[in-house]
Amino acid sequence: MNDWTDTEGRNGQEDRQALIRIENMGKTYDTGAVQVAALKEVDLIIRQGEFVAVMGQSGSGKSTLMNILGCLDRPTSGKYYLEGIDIGSRSSDELSLIRNKKIGFVFQSFNLIPRTSALKNVELPMTYARIPFHERHRRAMELLQKVDLGDRMEHMPNELSGGQKQRVAVARALANDPPILLADEPTGNLDSTSSGEIMRLFTALNAEGVTVIVVTHENEIAAFARRVIRFRDGKMISDETGGGHYAVD
Amino acid sequence: MLWIENMKMALLAIRINKMRSFLTMLGIIIGISAVISIVSIGDSMRGVIADQFKNIGVNRAMIYVSFVDDRRESDLFTLDELEKVKDAFPKEIVAIDPSSSEDAELTRGRKTIQVALEGVPGNYSDVQPLDMVDGRMINAGDLAAGRNYVVLKKETAIELFGKAQASGETIRAEVSGEPSELTVVGVYEKEATPMDALFMGSTPVAYVPYTSLVSTGDYFFALNFYIAEDIDYNVFKSQVVGLISRMKNRTADQISYNSAQEEMSMADNIMQGMSLAVGAIAAISLLVGGIGIMNIMLVSVTERTREIGIRKALGARTRDILIQFLTESALLSAAGGLIGTLLGIGFVMIGGAVAKIDVVIDPMVVLIAVAFSAMVGVLFGILPASKAAKADPIDALRYE
Ligand SMILES: Nc1ncnc2c1ncn2[C@@H]1O[C@H](COP(=O)(O)OP(=O)(O)OP(=O)(O)O)[C@@H](O)[C@H]1O
Ligand SMILES: [Mg+2]
Repeated sequence: MNDWTDTEGRNGQEDRQALIRIENMGKTYDTGAVQVAALKEVDLIIRQGEFVAVMGQSGSGKSTLMNILGCLDRPTSGKYYLEGIDIGSRSSDELSLIRNKKIGFVFQSFNLIPRTSALKNVELPMTYARIPFHERHRRAMELLQKVDLGDRMEHMPNELSGGQKQRVAVARALANDPPILLADEPTGNLDSTSSGEIMRLFTALNAEGVTVIVVTHENEIAAFARRVIRFRDGKMISDETGGGHYAVD
Repeated sequence: MLWIENMKMALLAIRINKMRSFLTMLGIIIGISAVISIVSIGDSMRGVIADQFKNIGVNRAMIYVSFVDDRRESDLFTLDELEKVKDAFPKEIVAIDPSSSEDAELTRGRKTIQVALEGVPGNYSDVQPLDMVDGRMINAGDLAAGRNYVVLKKETAIELFGKAQASGETIRAEVSGEPSELTVVGVYEKEATPMDALFMGSTPVAYVPYTSLVSTGDYFFALNFYIAEDIDYNVFKSQVVGLISRMKNRTADQISYNSAQEEMSMADNIMQGMSLAVGAIAAISLLVGGIGIMNIMLVSVTERTREIGIRKALGARTRDILIQFLTESALLSAAGGLIGTLLGIGFVMIGGAVAKIDVVIDPMVVLIAVAFSAMVGVLFGILPASKAAKADPIDALRYE
């Protein structure tokens, strides 16, 4: 837990850069009456600094994958290693710590804390990281300026437009300087102008070295990514990098 | 660091639902204010009663033959018997008198005043010190000679003579229809408490040697005496009751023995019983208040499920969420406790002002009340808070 460089028996040059490694992973929801296999036999490696788009029909398992990648949920079979750490064997408090330090979330529905200012929202991950008040205040202001909301810091979420809310969410996701940014349909509730702003932010962050993984239905959004992964019925059906692509199966 | 943040969040949550927060606090407010009022009233009453007993003498006791059916003349006492009892307990009985008191009319010129003449022993000033503003108190010589001397209350002296320095003056007195002449030897001063007026009426007391009210051969009803402080009280009681029962040929249970000490401890017992009842009321109202808080906190947790999910996604641990909601319920409850305390103190102050009683408010009680209500908040917050803390982040985020 303390040593993030620990690679739990993994070896080789390739693995050292493998930020995310998924091996034969499956996720089955047990709803009592029926068992829903949302993900089946997924193998995936994502390296530091990649910009990945995840696509697929509705119900194909994209959000399920993102929840597992974000350590909000655990796989029911197979393995998920984040920076070499086996996520499946971690306690929920350990996962909280991993999310806090390693992962920035951007949701389709913004998910800002209501009646709490933009500034306080951005400070929150740093509060849970026990960062002193002045430090987190300073950093939150810096981040809001970075997403061009320097003049909206004290605004409550209900006083912001959708695009502004999503930019606050991005600033919040970056609070603890995480290596991974996970965005599940971040532009789903935005118009094309705001969508463009968010995607340009992602591109800039990716250029700074942040690994960005975006779920989307739109090809224009996916075009920002260098790598596109497609799902159908819980299976990964294709994985294209740049122009040249190859089918998994 | 985090707890300041938690405090702010809790305050915000309470402020957002002002009405709901207030109604939730009401149970605690009512409970605590009731407790504070009743405890303070109890303490104040105790003070008043203690003052009262100091007035009539803490070491005072009275003995007489009970009102039995076959009443005999020998049930009454004579001065000879009084001396016998006194001689039987030279160490235990400091002063003794026939508990004699007569209504009298004092007249000087055209002015007439009603007083209560109280027959006192020669060393009365030893057992019940008085503030003398002029002259002296009745002494042993006055008693032995049965002199017609009187010690007046300051107000009486001023009324009759226009001054408090009335020693040496004489007045005409009519005691139960018989005229006599009294010489003033002293004037005393005494501040009246509202309880005095209540208990004793407004007739001022004037002191005379008891021998001027009761003569040898007269019968009187009871012996009134003052007990030494350093004796075994219970041993003395059984001895004196035994002596009187032999003297009067009565069984011990036909002898009545009233002492200020016994009455005082009885009053104290009543107060203690009251405190116990108050404790029970407090416990019940705090229980009800606590359940109210638990209920509203459960509602709050459900309403904020999504918020909890977001917080968890951002890195909040089980403990962070737990403490957040515990802080909120503790603050809610402590605020109720504080409001209740202030309200209770307000009631007591108003009541005290109206009844002209010195109000006793123990700061410890206030502290305990607030701390206790905060504890209730924590206790009844545990269930909702742990429900929040245990929420699965995915389920919570998906909650509509
Ligand atoms: N909590 C759950 N309980 C049971 N089944 C679930 C649960 N969450 C998702 N599923 C099922 O798992 C499958 C994949 O769902 P998922 O949300 O991952 O799809 P998605 O690709 O994100 O779809 P969309 O594009 O509509 O968001 C679906 O069939 C869905 O019904
Ligand atoms: Mg989805």
